[in-house]
Amino acid sequence: MPRRYLLVKVLCGSAFTDQQFHDALDTSVCTHFGDIGFSRIDPRIIKSDQNTATSIISCERREVRELESALALITECGGTSVAVLVLGVSGTIKGLRKRKVR
Amino acid sequence: MAQILKTAGYSTAGLTLPTGLLPERANSIRQTFQDQGIETALRIDLGSPSRTELLRSLRRFRNAYDVVGVKCVNARVATVASRDRRVDVVFFDPVMHNVRFNHSLARLLHGALEINLIASLLTPTDASVLSRLRRTIAVAQEHNVRVVLSSGARKAEMVRTPLQLSAIASTLSLSEAASVAGVSSVPSSIIAENVKKRKPEYVEEGVKIIVSSRR
Repeated sequence: MPRRYLLVKVLCGSAFTDQQFHDALDTSVCTHFGDIGFSRIDPRIIKSDQNTATSIISCERREVRELESALALITECGGTSVAVLVLGVSGTIKGLRKRKVR
Repeated sequence: MAQILKTAGYSTAGLTLPTGLLPERANSIRQTFQDQGIETALRIDLGSPSRTELLRSLRRFRNAYDVVGVKCVNARVATVASRDRRVDVVFFDPVMHNVRFNHSLARLLHGALEINLIASLLTPTDASVLSRLRRTIAVAQEHNVRVVLSSGARKAEMVRTPLQLSAIASTLSLSEAASVAGVSSVPSSIIAENVKKRKPEYVEEGVKIIVSSRR
């Protein structure tokens, strides 16, 4: 199935690990869309950059809006309050990298 | 905050400032946003508990602000706010059980319905908030009410991108077109309309002074 890639920026006061962000994402998707929704959305963290606090996350093409909502509703990561902003959506990772550079 | 709004991709922000704030302080806040390339629209949120108080506040503040919002704290205030043309947006607190957006208010509404998505969803409440929001959106859709989607952010952690706000609204079954319009064309048209009305040459709808009578 074709996938979509989302460039996200995490606004956070203190540092957190990739695993903590992974857990926060899974929890948010499961809480708001359930286990069936999680399997439909199939979110995967492709790449994280701690320096710029950005990540690339992929999901099933038809479920982009659901993943965007789940990301918006993340409030905590590793015990600190965070805000996750979706900066762009693309069909390819290359497209997102171009956007990141811009 | 201004920098985060810029990162999130906003071009205009509605600033709710206390009514007693000095004009110099308000201007300096607006300047901070403008330095980041974000236009600001001054807004006031009226939370009057009674009809008479709401009307008094509208008389006093309408011309001083770009956007006038009314928090509907009870059914009487909701009815007056929906009917009054001076009100730009009405909004409801989803935690309050005594008043909600219903079909009769939707029929009366002149302005737009504002939904503070993030402020509603991030407060520690139960899942019934989601169902109440869903019901509000269904009523608004049925009556073709203009919907403004807002984060209602009071601090930086509550800011979300316009894309995310429209995504949440779509997930709550607002149509794709309405959810996109709710973060773009609807709020910008409200601001543009009010800026036009606040100009000195504006007289009323369709009437404006084009030649000054001063000699």
